[in-house]
Amino acid sequence: MRAILLVLFGAVSITFTRAQLNFCLATDCSVSVPMRLNSEDSVSTLRFYISNVRIMHGGKIVWSAEKEHYLIDFNQDQLENNNVIGYKGSGLKEGVLKFILGVDDNTSTKGIGEGPLDPIRGMYWTWQSGYINFKLEGTSNQCPTKKNKFQLHLGGFQEPYRTTQNIELKISGEEEAVVFNLKKLMTTINLKEDHTVMSPGEKAVYLMQNAKSCFYAK
Amino acid sequence: MQSKKVLLFFVLFFLVAFAVKKGSPEPPSYLPTPYYSLPVSPESNDTVALGRLLFYDNILSGNNEVSCASCHNSYNAFAHTDHALSHGIFDSIGTRNAPALFNLAWKKNFMWDGATHHLDAQALAPLHDPKEMGSSMEELLSKLQASTFYQNEFFNTYQDSLINSRRVLQALASFELSFVSFQSKYDAVKEGDAGFTDQEDSGYKLFDQHCSKCHKEPLFTNGEFMDNNLPVDSSLDDKGRFLVSKQTEDRYKFKVPSLRNLSYTYPYMHDGRFTKLNDVLAHYSSHEQSGFYRKHDLEKPILLSFNERADLIAFLLTLNDPRFVFNPLYSFPDKLKKELTKI
Repeated sequence: MRAILLVLFGAVSITFTRAQLNFCLATDCSVSVPMRLNSEDSVSTLRFYISNVRIMHGGKIVWSAEKEHYLIDFNQDQLENNNVIGYKGSGLKEGVLKFILGVDDNTSTKGIGEGPLDPIRGMYWTWQSGYINFKLEGTSNQCPTKKNKFQLHLGGFQEPYRTTQNIELKISGEEEAVVFNLKKLMTTINLKEDHTVMSPGEKAVYLMQNAKSCFYAK
Repeated sequence: MQSKKVLLFFVLFFLVAFAVKKGSPEPPSYLPTPYYSLPVSPESNDTVALGRLLFYDNILSGNNEVSCASCHNSYNAFAHTDHALSHGIFDSIGTRNAPALFNLAWKKNFMWDGATHHLDAQALAPLHDPKEMGSSMEELLSKLQASTFYQNEFFNTYQDSLINSRRVLQALASFELSFVSFQSKYDAVKEGDAGFTDQEDSGYKLFDQHCSKCHKEPLFTNGEFMDNNLPVDSSLDDKGRFLVSKQTEDRYKFKVPSLRNLSYTYPYMHDGRFTKLNDVLAHYSSHEQSGFYRKHDLEKPILLSFNERADLIAFLLTLNDPRFVFNPLYSFPDKLKKELTKI
Protein backbone atom coordinates (compact mmCIF):
# COMPACT_ATOMS: atom_id res chain seq x y z
CA MET A 1 0.00 0.00 0.00
CA ARG A 2 2.80 2.34 0.92
CA ALA A 3 4.56 1.65 -2.36
CA ILE A 4 1.43 2.43 -4.34
CA LEU A 5 1.03 5.74 -2.57
CA LEU A 6 4.63 6.57 -3.40
CA VAL A 7 3.96 6.05 -7.06
CA LEU A 8 0.68 7.88 -7.09
CA PHE A 9 1.56 10.88 -5.00
CA GLY A 10 5.28 11.11 -4.68
CA ALA A 11 6.88 10.04 -7.89
CA VAL A 12 7.46 11.16 -11.43
CA SER A 13 7.79 8.41 -13.94
CA ILE A 14 8.98 8.36 -17.50
CA THR A 15 7.33 5.77 -19.68
CA PHE A 16 9.33 4.50 -22.61
CA THR A 17 7.89 3.49 -25.90
CA ARG A 18 9.83 2.87 -29.06
CA ALA A 19 9.50 6.41 -30.25
CA GLN A 20 9.26 8.53 -27.18
CA LEU A 21 9.89 9.11 -23.54
CA ASN A 22 6.84 10.23 -21.69
CA PHE A 23 7.47 12.23 -18.56
CA CYS A 24 4.65 11.62 -16.12
CA LEU A 25 3.76 12.09 -12.52
CA ALA A 26 3.21 8.48 -11.40
CA THR A 27 2.39 5.65 -13.79
CA ASP A 28 -0.94 7.25 -14.56
CA CYS A 29 0.13 10.07 -16.87
CA SER A 30 -2.88 12.21 -16.05
CA VAL A 31 -1.62 12.87 -12.50
CA SER A 32 -0.48 16.47 -12.28
CA VAL A 33 0.21 19.44 -10.03
CA PRO A 34 -1.23 21.07 -7.91
CA MET A 35 -0.86 18.01 -5.74
CA ARG A 36 -1.12 17.33 -2.04
CA LEU A 37 1.70 15.13 -0.80
CA ASN A 38 0.51 14.70 2.78
CA SER A 39 -1.35 16.66 5.42
CA GLU A 40 1.49 19.22 5.66
CA ASP A 41 3.00 19.61 2.23
CA SER A 42 1.64 20.34 -1.19
CA VAL A 43 3.31 21.11 -4.49
CA SER A 44 1.84 23.71 -6.84
CA THR A 45 4.58 23.92 -9.48
CA LEU A 46 7.08 21.38 -10.68
CA ARG A 47 9.02 22.17 -13.80
CA PHE A 48 12.50 21.41 -14.98
CA TYR A 49 14.64 21.43 -18.07
CA ILE A 50 16.30 18.39 -19.49
CA SER A 51 18.94 18.53 -22.22
CA ASN A 52 20.80 16.16 -24.46
CA VAL A 53 18.62 13.09 -23.86
CA ARG A 54 19.98 9.88 -25.37
CA ILE A 55 20.39 6.17 -24.78
CA MET A 56 23.86 4.69 -25.04
CA HIS A 57 24.63 1.08 -25.73
CA GLY A 58 28.05 -0.38 -26.39
CA GLY A 59 29.58 3.08 -26.58
CA LYS A 60 27.11 4.19 -29.26
CA ILE A 61 24.04 6.37 -29.19
CA VAL A 62 21.14 4.03 -30.01
CA TRP A 63 18.39 6.56 -29.41
CA SER A 64 18.39 10.28 -29.04
CA ALA A 65 15.77 12.93 -28.53
CA GLU A 66 14.68 15.10 -31.43
CA LYS A 67 15.27 18.39 -29.65
CA GLU A 68 18.15 19.58 -27.55
CA HIS A 69 16.04 20.93 -24.71
CA TYR A 70 12.72 20.06 -23.15
CA LEU A 71 10.81 21.90 -20.49
CA ILE A 72 9.06 19.24 -18.45
CA ASP A 73 6.06 20.84 -16.77
CA PHE A 74 3.69 18.89 -14.55
CA ASN A 75 1.01 21.51 -14.53
CA GLN A 76 -2.24 19.85 -15.58
CA ASP A 77 -2.51 22.05 -18.69
CA GLN A 78 1.03 21.28 -19.83
CA LEU A 79 1.19 17.50 -19.44
CA GLU A 80 0.65 16.75 -23.10
CA ASN A 81 3.86 18.61 -23.92
CA ASN A 82 5.95 16.31 -21.77
CA ASN A 83 6.63 13.80 -24.51
CA VAL A 84 10.24 13.58 -25.51
CA ILE A 85 10.27 12.42 -29.09
CA GLY A 86 13.21 10.47 -30.41
CA TYR A 87 14.42 10.23 -33.97
CA LYS A 88 17.27 7.81 -33.87
CA GLY A 89 17.01 4.05 -33.49
CA SER A 90 13.84 2.01 -33.56
CA GLY A 91 13.86 -0.39 -30.64
CA LEU A 92 15.00 0.48 -27.18
CA LYS A 93 17.28 -2.23 -25.89
CA GLU A 94 19.32 -2.38 -22.77
CA GLY A 95 21.64 0.50 -22.30
CA VAL A 96 22.15 3.67 -20.34
CA LEU A 97 19.73 6.55 -20.51
CA LYS A 98 21.67 9.77 -20.18
CA PHE A 99 20.44 13.30 -19.89
CA ILE A 100 21.36 16.58 -18.30
CA LEU A 101 19.02 17.91 -15.63
CA GLY A 102 18.87 21.58 -16.55
CA VAL A 103 19.82 23.61 -19.61
CA ASP A 104 23.30 22.52 -20.68
CA ASP A 105 25.98 25.02 -19.69
CA ASN A 106 27.05 25.73 -23.25
CA THR A 107 23.54 26.88 -24.21
CA SER A 108 23.34 28.97 -21.05
CA THR A 109 26.42 30.96 -22.02
CA LYS A 110 24.76 31.97 -25.29
CA GLY A 111 21.94 34.46 -25.62
CA ILE A 112 18.21 33.88 -25.53
CA GLY A 113 16.65 30.75 -26.96
CA GLU A 114 13.28 30.04 -28.54
CA GLY A 115 10.57 27.45 -27.88
CA PRO A 116 11.12 25.87 -24.47
CA LEU A 117 13.98 28.33 -23.86
CA ASP A 118 11.86 31.44 -24.46
CA PRO A 119 12.07 33.66 -21.34
CA ILE A 120 8.26 34.04 -21.32
CA ARG A 121 8.15 30.46 -19.98
CA GLY A 122 9.02 31.91 -16.58
CA MET A 123 12.22 29.90 -16.42
CA TYR A 124 14.68 32.74 -17.02
CA TRP A 125 15.97 35.13 -14.41
CA THR A 126 15.79 38.76 -15.36
CA TRP A 127 17.95 40.61 -12.83
CA GLN A 128 20.75 38.07 -13.15
CA SER A 129 20.84 36.26 -16.44
CA GLY A 130 20.55 32.50 -16.67
CA TYR A 131 17.95 29.77 -16.84
CA ILE A 132 16.11 28.39 -13.84
CA ASN A 133 16.93 24.72 -14.31
CA PHE A 134 14.48 23.37 -11.79
CA LYS A 135 11.46 25.04 -10.24
CA LEU A 136 9.58 23.61 -7.28
CA GLU A 137 6.92 25.63 -5.50
CA GLY A 138 4.28 24.82 -2.96
CA THR A 139 3.28 25.19 0.65
CA SER A 140 4.35 23.46 3.82
CA ASN A 141 3.55 23.99 7.48
CA GLN A 142 7.28 23.96 8.08
CA CYS A 143 7.88 27.18 6.11
CA PRO A 144 8.11 30.32 8.23
CA THR A 145 7.01 32.35 5.22
CA LYS A 146 3.95 34.28 4.11
CA LYS A 147 1.15 31.76 3.54
CA ASN A 148 3.70 28.99 4.31
CA LYS A 149 4.99 29.13 0.74
CA PHE A 150 8.23 27.66 -0.49
CA GLN A 151 9.81 28.75 -3.75
CA LEU A 152 12.84 26.87 -4.99
CA HIS A 153 14.17 28.29 -8.25
CA LEU A 154 17.36 26.40 -8.86
CA GLY A 155 19.82 27.57 -11.48
CA GLY A 156 23.34 28.80 -12.10
CA PHE A 157 25.78 27.76 -14.81
CA GLN A 158 28.98 29.43 -13.70
CA GLU A 159 31.53 28.04 -11.27
CA PRO A 160 31.54 27.62 -8.35
CA TYR A 161 27.73 27.42 -8.45
CA ARG A 162 27.09 25.25 -11.49
CA THR A 163 23.79 23.45 -10.98
CA THR A 164 23.33 21.21 -14.04
CA GLN A 165 23.46 17.50 -13.22
CA ASN A 166 24.45 14.63 -15.49
CA ILE A 167 22.04 11.78 -15.00
CA GLU A 168 22.75 8.19 -16.06
CA LEU A 169 20.24 5.42 -15.56
CA LYS A 170 20.66 1.78 -16.55
CA ILE A 171 17.72 0.37 -18.47
CA SER A 172 17.12 -3.20 -19.46
CA GLY A 173 14.09 -3.60 -21.73
CA GLU A 174 11.79 -1.99 -24.26
CA GLU A 175 9.30 -0.79 -21.69
CA GLU A 176 10.93 1.07 -18.86
CA ALA A 177 9.91 3.67 -16.39
CA VAL A 178 12.20 6.23 -14.89
CA VAL A 179 10.87 7.47 -11.63
CA PHE A 180 11.55 10.82 -10.10
CA ASN A 181 10.85 10.39 -6.44
CA LEU A 182 9.41 13.74 -5.45
CA LYS A 183 8.60 12.51 -1.97
CA LYS A 184 12.24 11.59 -1.42
CA LEU A 185 13.32 15.02 -2.61
CA MET A 186 10.89 16.66 -0.20
CA THR A 187 12.33 14.69 2.71
CA THR A 188 15.85 15.89 1.86
CA ILE A 189 14.86 19.56 1.95
CA ASN A 190 14.88 21.39 5.25
CA LEU A 191 11.97 23.70 4.49
CA LYS A 192 12.44 25.54 7.78
CA GLU A 193 15.67 26.93 6.32
CA ASP A 194 15.65 26.36 2.58
CA HIS A 195 12.23 27.67 1.64
CA THR A 196 13.23 30.52 -0.65
CA VAL A 197 16.07 29.96 -3.10
CA MET A 198 15.94 32.28 -6.10
CA SER A 199 19.51 32.82 -7.21
CA PRO A 200 22.62 30.78 -7.97
CA GLY A 201 24.57 29.77 -4.90
CA GLU A 202 25.48 26.95 -2.54
CA LYS A 203 21.87 26.10 -1.71
CA ALA A 204 20.90 25.80 -5.36
CA VAL A 205 23.81 23.44 -6.04
CA TYR A 206 23.00 21.33 -2.97
CA LEU A 207 19.32 21.08 -3.83
CA MET A 208 20.06 20.17 -7.46
CA GLN A 209 22.37 17.40 -6.26
CA ASN A 210 19.48 16.17 -4.12
CA ALA A 211 17.17 16.28 -7.14
CA LYS A 212 19.67 14.26 -9.15
CA SER A 213 19.58 11.45 -6.62
CA CYS A 214 15.80 11.18 -6.96
CA PHE A 215 15.76 9.77 -10.49
CA TYR A 216 15.84 6.01 -10.83
CA ALA A 217 14.87 3.34 -13.35
CA LYS A 218 11.93 1.11 -12.57
CA MET B 1 47.29 48.65 -67.29
CA GLN B 2 48.25 51.87 -65.53
CA SER B 3 44.80 53.33 -66.14
CA LYS B 4 43.21 50.21 -64.66
CA LYS B 5 45.27 50.69 -61.50
CA VAL B 6 44.23 54.33 -61.33
CA LEU B 7 40.61 53.33 -61.81
CA LEU B 8 40.88 50.69 -59.10
CA PHE B 9 42.42 53.30 -56.81
CA PHE B 10 39.50 55.68 -57.36
CA VAL B 11 36.93 52.92 -56.90
CA LEU B 12 38.58 51.95 -53.60
CA PHE B 13 38.85 55.59 -52.57
CA PHE B 14 35.14 56.19 -53.13
CA LEU B 15 34.21 52.96 -51.37
CA VAL B 16 36.22 53.98 -48.34
CA ALA B 17 34.93 57.56 -48.44
CA PHE B 18 31.36 56.30 -48.76
CA ALA B 19 31.80 53.94 -45.83
CA VAL B 20 33.13 56.76 -43.65
CA LYS B 21 30.37 59.12 -44.72
CA LYS B 22 27.72 56.56 -43.79
CA GLY B 23 29.17 56.42 -40.31
CA SER B 24 30.10 52.80 -40.72
CA PRO B 25 31.51 51.76 -37.34
CA GLU B 26 34.64 50.15 -38.70
CA PRO B 27 36.73 49.80 -35.56
CA PRO B 28 40.40 50.78 -35.67
CA SER B 29 43.06 48.11 -35.93
CA TYR B 30 44.51 48.64 -32.44
CA LEU B 31 41.41 47.23 -30.73
CA PRO B 32 41.18 43.76 -29.25
CA THR B 33 38.84 41.24 -30.89
CA PRO B 34 35.25 41.96 -29.87
CA TYR B 35 33.07 39.33 -28.15
CA TYR B 36 30.18 40.11 -30.52
CA SER B 37 30.20 40.72 -34.27
CA LEU B 38 29.29 44.27 -35.18
CA PRO B 39 26.31 45.24 -37.30
CA VAL B 40 27.29 46.59 -40.71
CA SER B 41 25.89 50.07 -40.22
CA PRO B 42 23.53 51.83 -37.84
CA GLU B 43 21.24 52.70 -40.76
CA SER B 44 21.10 49.39 -42.59
CA ASN B 45 17.62 48.01 -43.00
CA ASP B 46 17.87 45.14 -40.62
CA THR B 47 17.60 44.34 -36.94
CA VAL B 48 19.48 47.54 -36.07
CA ALA B 49 16.65 49.70 -37.44
CA LEU B 50 14.03 47.60 -35.65
CA GLY B 51 16.05 47.76 -32.45
CA ARG B 52 16.21 51.54 -32.75
CA LEU B 53 12.41 51.74 -32.86
CA LEU B 54 12.08 49.50 -29.81
CA PHE B 55 14.82 51.38 -27.95
CA TYR B 56 12.92 54.65 -28.29
CA ASP B 57 9.39 53.31 -27.78
CA ASN B 58 7.60 53.83 -24.46
CA ILE B 59 5.61 50.69 -25.26
CA LEU B 60 8.34 48.81 -23.42
CA SER B 61 7.22 50.10 -20.03
CA GLY B 62 4.25 48.98 -17.98
CA ASN B 63 2.57 52.41 -18.12
CA ASN B 64 3.80 53.36 -21.62
CA GLU B 65 5.77 56.31 -20.27
CA VAL B 66 9.37 55.14 -20.23
CA SER B 67 11.66 53.87 -22.98
CA CYS B 68 15.24 52.63 -22.92
CA ALA B 69 16.20 56.08 -24.18
CA SER B 70 14.63 57.72 -21.12
CA CYS B 71 17.73 56.74 -19.15
CA HIS B 72 20.09 56.14 -22.08
CA ASN B 73 20.11 59.34 -24.09
CA SER B 74 22.13 59.34 -27.31
CA TYR B 75 23.27 62.92 -26.66
CA ASN B 76 24.87 61.73 -23.44
CA ALA B 77 26.63 58.73 -24.97
CA PHE B 78 23.51 56.85 -23.86
CA ALA B 79 23.94 57.74 -20.20
CA HIS B 80 21.52 59.84 -18.10
CA THR B 81 23.03 63.24 -17.46
CA ASP B 82 22.28 64.90 -14.16
CA HIS B 83 20.53 61.86 -12.69
CA ALA B 84 22.54 60.07 -10.04
CA LEU B 85 20.26 57.02 -9.89
CA SER B 86 18.12 55.51 -12.62
CA HIS B 87 14.52 56.62 -13.02
CA GLY B 88 11.64 54.31 -13.78
CA ILE B 89 7.87 54.29 -14.14
CA PHE B 90 5.70 56.16 -11.60
CA ASP B 91 8.75 58.28 -10.64
CA SER B 92 10.55 55.28 -9.17
CA ILE B 93 14.20 55.74 -8.31
CA GLY B 94 16.54 52.80 -8.74
CA THR B 95 19.74 52.01 -6.87
CA ARG B 96 22.41 52.61 -9.51
CA ASN B 97 23.48 55.13 -12.10
CA ALA B 98 22.35 54.38 -15.66
CA PRO B 99 25.64 53.58 -17.39
CA ALA B 100 26.73 54.98 -20.75
CA LEU B 101 26.30 52.56 -23.65
CA PHE B 102 28.98 52.24 -26.30
CA ASN B 103 31.54 49.72 -27.51
CA LEU B 104 29.37 47.00 -25.97
CA ALA B 105 30.74 44.38 -28.37
CA TRP B 106 33.94 44.44 -26.30
CA LYS B 107 32.20 43.66 -23.01
CA LYS B 108 32.10 40.15 -21.65
CA ASN B 109 29.28 40.97 -19.25
CA PHE B 110 26.91 43.83 -18.49
CA MET B 111 25.55 45.93 -15.61
CA TRP B 112 27.63 47.43 -12.79
CA ASP B 113 27.85 44.01 -11.14
CA GLY B 114 28.10 41.89 -14.30
CA ALA B 115 24.75 40.24 -13.54
CA THR B 116 24.03 39.84 -17.26
CA HIS B 117 26.40 37.57 -19.13
CA HIS B 118 25.05 38.13 -22.65
CA LEU B 119 23.82 41.30 -24.35
CA ASP B 120 20.71 39.56 -25.70
CA ALA B 121 19.56 38.87 -22.14
CA GLN B 122 20.34 42.35 -20.80
CA ALA B 123 17.08 44.11 -21.75
CA LEU B 124 15.10 41.61 -19.65
CA ALA B 125 16.49 43.21 -16.49
CA PRO B 126 15.16 46.78 -16.91
CA LEU B 127 12.02 45.48 -18.65
CA HIS B 128 11.01 43.43 -15.61
CA ASP B 129 12.37 45.65 -12.84
CA PRO B 130 9.40 47.30 -11.08
CA LYS B 131 11.59 50.38 -10.46
CA GLU B 132 12.53 50.67 -14.12
CA MET B 133 10.08 49.65 -16.85
CA GLY B 134 7.79 47.58 -14.64
CA SER B 135 6.64 45.36 -17.47
CA SER B 136 7.35 41.82 -18.64
CA MET B 137 8.32 40.16 -21.89
CA GLU B 138 4.89 38.55 -22.02
CA GLU B 139 3.15 41.91 -21.69
CA LEU B 140 5.47 43.56 -24.22
CA LEU B 141 4.94 40.79 -26.76
CA SER B 142 1.17 41.10 -26.52
CA LYS B 143 1.41 44.87 -27.08
CA LEU B 144 3.75 44.46 -30.05
CA GLN B 145 1.67 41.66 -31.56
CA ALA B 146 -1.42 43.89 -31.38
CA SER B 147 0.34 46.72 -33.23
CA THR B 148 0.00 46.88 -37.03
CA PHE B 149 3.05 49.15 -37.09
CA TYR B 150 5.23 46.51 -35.42
CA GLN B 151 3.70 43.65 -37.39
CA ASN B 152 4.89 45.45 -40.51
CA GLU B 153 8.28 46.31 -39.03
CA PHE B 154 8.93 42.72 -37.96
CA PHE B 155 7.81 41.52 -41.38
CA ASN B 156 10.19 43.95 -43.11
CA THR B 157 13.04 42.82 -40.90
CA TYR B 158 12.50 39.08 -40.76
CA GLN B 159 10.30 38.40 -43.83
CA ASP B 160 7.58 37.10 -41.55
CA SER B 161 5.58 38.82 -38.85
CA LEU B 162 6.44 36.49 -35.96
CA ILE B 163 7.10 38.62 -32.89
CA ASN B 164 8.82 36.67 -30.12
CA SER B 165 11.21 37.29 -27.23
CA ARG B 166 14.32 36.34 -29.13
CA ARG B 167 13.62 38.73 -32.02
CA VAL B 168 12.80 41.63 -29.70
CA LEU B 169 15.93 41.08 -27.62
CA GLN B 170 18.22 40.52 -30.59
CA ALA B 171 16.93 43.65 -32.33
CA LEU B 172 17.63 45.74 -29.22
CA ALA B 173 21.07 44.16 -28.91
CA SER B 174 21.84 44.85 -32.59
CA PHE B 175 21.01 48.53 -32.23
CA GLU B 176 23.12 48.70 -29.08
CA LEU B 177 26.04 46.94 -30.76
CA SER B 178 26.00 49.66 -33.40
CA PHE B 179 27.05 52.17 -30.69
CA VAL B 180 30.69 52.13 -31.71
CA SER B 181 32.74 55.08 -30.53
CA PHE B 182 36.31 55.32 -31.76
CA GLN B 183 36.40 58.73 -33.42
CA SER B 184 37.78 60.76 -30.53
CA LYS B 185 40.88 62.94 -30.74
CA TYR B 186 42.73 60.19 -28.85
CA ASP B 187 41.87 57.80 -31.71
CA ALA B 188 42.98 60.33 -34.33
CA VAL B 189 46.32 60.64 -32.51
CA LYS B 190 46.57 56.87 -32.29
CA GLU B 191 45.96 56.64 -36.04
CA GLY B 192 48.59 59.31 -36.72
CA ASP B 193 46.03 61.84 -38.01
CA ALA B 194 46.43 64.35 -35.18
CA GLY B 195 48.74 65.25 -32.33
CA PHE B 196 48.28 65.97 -28.65
CA THR B 197 48.98 69.43 -27.29
CA ASP B 198 51.79 69.67 -24.73
CA GLN B 199 49.23 69.78 -21.95
CA GLU B 200 47.36 66.73 -23.28
CA ASP B 201 50.65 64.91 -23.69
CA SER B 202 51.61 65.65 -20.11
CA GLY B 203 48.15 64.45 -19.02
CA TYR B 204 48.59 61.25 -21.05
CA LYS B 205 51.80 60.48 -19.16
CA LEU B 206 50.05 61.05 -15.81
CA PHE B 207 47.17 58.87 -16.96
CA ASP B 208 49.55 56.13 -17.96
CA GLN B 209 51.26 56.29 -14.59
CA HIS B 210 48.20 56.44 -12.32
CA CYS B 211 45.03 55.33 -14.10
CA SER B 212 45.81 52.98 -16.96
CA LYS B 213 45.90 49.75 -14.97
CA CYS B 214 42.13 49.76 -14.49
CA HIS B 215 41.14 52.14 -17.28
CA LYS B 216 43.18 50.19 -19.77
CA GLU B 217 43.71 51.48 -23.31
CA PRO B 218 42.27 51.46 -25.89
CA LEU B 219 38.84 50.72 -24.37
CA PHE B 220 39.77 52.65 -21.22
CA THR B 221 38.48 49.86 -19.04
CA ASN B 222 39.96 46.50 -18.15
CA GLY B 223 36.43 45.09 -17.96
CA GLU B 224 37.05 43.85 -14.42
CA PHE B 225 35.31 44.48 -11.10
CA MET B 226 37.29 46.64 -8.70
CA ASP B 227 36.78 48.32 -5.35
CA ASN B 228 37.83 51.94 -5.70
CA ASN B 229 37.35 52.56 -1.98
CA LEU B 230 34.26 54.75 -2.20
CA PRO B 231 32.69 55.31 1.22
CA VAL B 232 29.62 53.07 1.46
CA ASP B 233 26.35 54.93 1.03
CA SER B 234 24.42 53.47 3.97
CA SER B 235 21.06 54.28 2.38
CA LEU B 236 21.91 51.94 -0.52
CA ASP B 237 24.48 49.59 1.07
CA ASP B 238 25.17 48.27 -2.40
CA LYS B 239 27.66 45.39 -2.24
CA GLY B 240 28.09 45.33 -6.01
CA ARG B 241 29.62 42.24 -7.59
CA PHE B 242 29.15 40.29 -4.34
CA LEU B 243 25.40 40.21 -5.00
CA VAL B 244 26.11 38.14 -8.11
CA SER B 245 29.16 36.09 -7.20
CA LYS B 246 28.48 35.67 -3.45
CA GLN B 247 32.26 35.70 -2.97
CA THR B 248 33.38 37.75 0.04
CA GLU B 249 36.31 39.25 -1.88
CA ASP B 250 33.84 40.79 -4.36
CA ARG B 251 32.11 43.01 -1.81
CA TYR B 252 31.88 46.65 -2.97
CA LYS B 253 33.42 45.84 -6.33
CA PHE B 254 31.86 47.38 -9.41
CA LYS B 255 32.61 47.20 -13.12
CA VAL B 256 35.36 49.61 -14.15
CA PRO B 257 33.62 52.04 -16.53
CA SER B 258 35.24 53.24 -19.74
CA LEU B 259 36.54 56.80 -19.58
CA ARG B 260 35.61 57.47 -23.20
CA ASN B 261 32.95 60.18 -23.71
CA LEU B 262 33.28 61.17 -20.08
CA SER B 263 32.17 64.77 -20.60
CA TYR B 264 28.74 63.52 -21.66
CA THR B 265 28.22 60.85 -19.05
CA TYR B 266 28.23 62.61 -15.69
CA PRO B 267 27.36 62.04 -12.89
CA TYR B 268 30.10 59.51 -12.14
CA MET B 269 30.45 56.27 -10.16
CA HIS B 270 27.94 53.42 -9.78
CA ASP B 271 25.67 55.61 -7.69
CA GLY B 272 26.32 58.86 -9.54
CA ARG B 273 27.72 60.53 -6.43
CA PHE B 274 30.20 62.80 -8.24
CA THR B 275 29.07 65.39 -10.76
CA LYS B 276 32.46 66.83 -11.71
CA LEU B 277 35.71 65.28 -12.87
CA ASN B 278 37.45 67.29 -10.19
CA ASP B 279 35.32 65.52 -7.54
CA VAL B 280 36.47 62.21 -8.99
CA LEU B 281 40.13 63.25 -8.94
CA ALA B 282 39.69 64.55 -5.38
CA HIS B 283 38.42 61.11 -4.35
CA TYR B 284 41.40 59.35 -5.87
CA SER B 285 43.82 61.72 -4.20
CA SER B 286 42.34 61.46 -0.70
CA HIS B 287 41.27 57.85 -0.05
CA GLU B 288 38.55 59.09 2.22
CA GLN B 289 37.25 56.45 4.61
CA SER B 290 33.92 56.30 6.32
CA GLY B 291 33.88 54.58 9.67
CA PHE B 292 35.68 51.37 8.80
CA TYR B 293 38.61 50.26 6.71
CA ARG B 294 38.36 47.63 4.07
CA LYS B 295 40.74 46.02 1.64
CA HIS B 296 40.40 47.71 -1.74
CA ASP B 297 42.07 47.91 -5.12
CA LEU B 298 43.68 51.36 -4.97
CA GLU B 299 47.41 51.12 -4.46
CA LYS B 300 48.02 54.56 -3.04
CA PRO B 301 46.50 58.04 -3.15
CA ILE B 302 47.11 59.74 -6.50
CA LEU B 303 48.69 62.99 -5.39
CA LEU B 304 48.59 65.55 -8.18
CA SER B 305 49.39 69.23 -8.22
CA PHE B 306 46.78 71.71 -9.43
CA ASN B 307 48.55 71.90 -12.82
CA GLU B 308 48.85 68.15 -13.10
CA ARG B 309 45.13 67.77 -12.50
CA ALA B 310 44.45 70.26 -15.26
CA ASP B 311 46.78 68.33 -17.58
CA LEU B 312 45.15 65.02 -16.76
CA ILE B 313 41.70 66.42 -17.42
CA ALA B 314 42.94 67.91 -20.71
CA PHE B 315 43.98 64.42 -21.79
CA LEU B 316 40.73 62.84 -20.58
CA LEU B 317 38.78 65.32 -22.71
CA THR B 318 40.49 63.92 -25.82
CA LEU B 319 38.47 60.75 -25.18
CA ASN B 320 35.24 62.54 -26.07
CA ASP B 321 33.74 61.46 -29.37
CA PRO B 322 31.24 64.11 -30.47
CA ARG B 323 30.78 62.42 -33.86
CA PHE B 324 29.43 59.40 -32.04
CA VAL B 325 27.33 61.36 -29.58
CA PHE B 326 25.73 63.61 -32.18
CA ASN B 327 25.35 61.00 -34.91
CA PRO B 328 21.71 61.44 -36.04
CA LEU B 329 21.49 57.71 -36.79
CA TYR B 330 21.36 57.06 -33.06
CA SER B 331 18.69 59.62 -32.21
CA PHE B 332 14.89 59.30 -32.04
CA PRO B 333 13.77 57.61 -35.28
CA ASP B 334 11.52 59.66 -37.61
CA LYS B 335 9.43 56.59 -38.30
CA LEU B 336 8.39 56.42 -34.67
CA LYS B 337 7.52 60.15 -34.65
CA LYS B 338 5.13 59.54 -37.55
CA GLU B 339 3.68 56.54 -35.76
CA LEU B 340 3.16 58.52 -32.56
CA THR B 341 1.42 61.40 -34.36
CA LYS B 342 -1.10 58.89 -35.73
CA ILE B 343 -2.29 57.99 -32.23
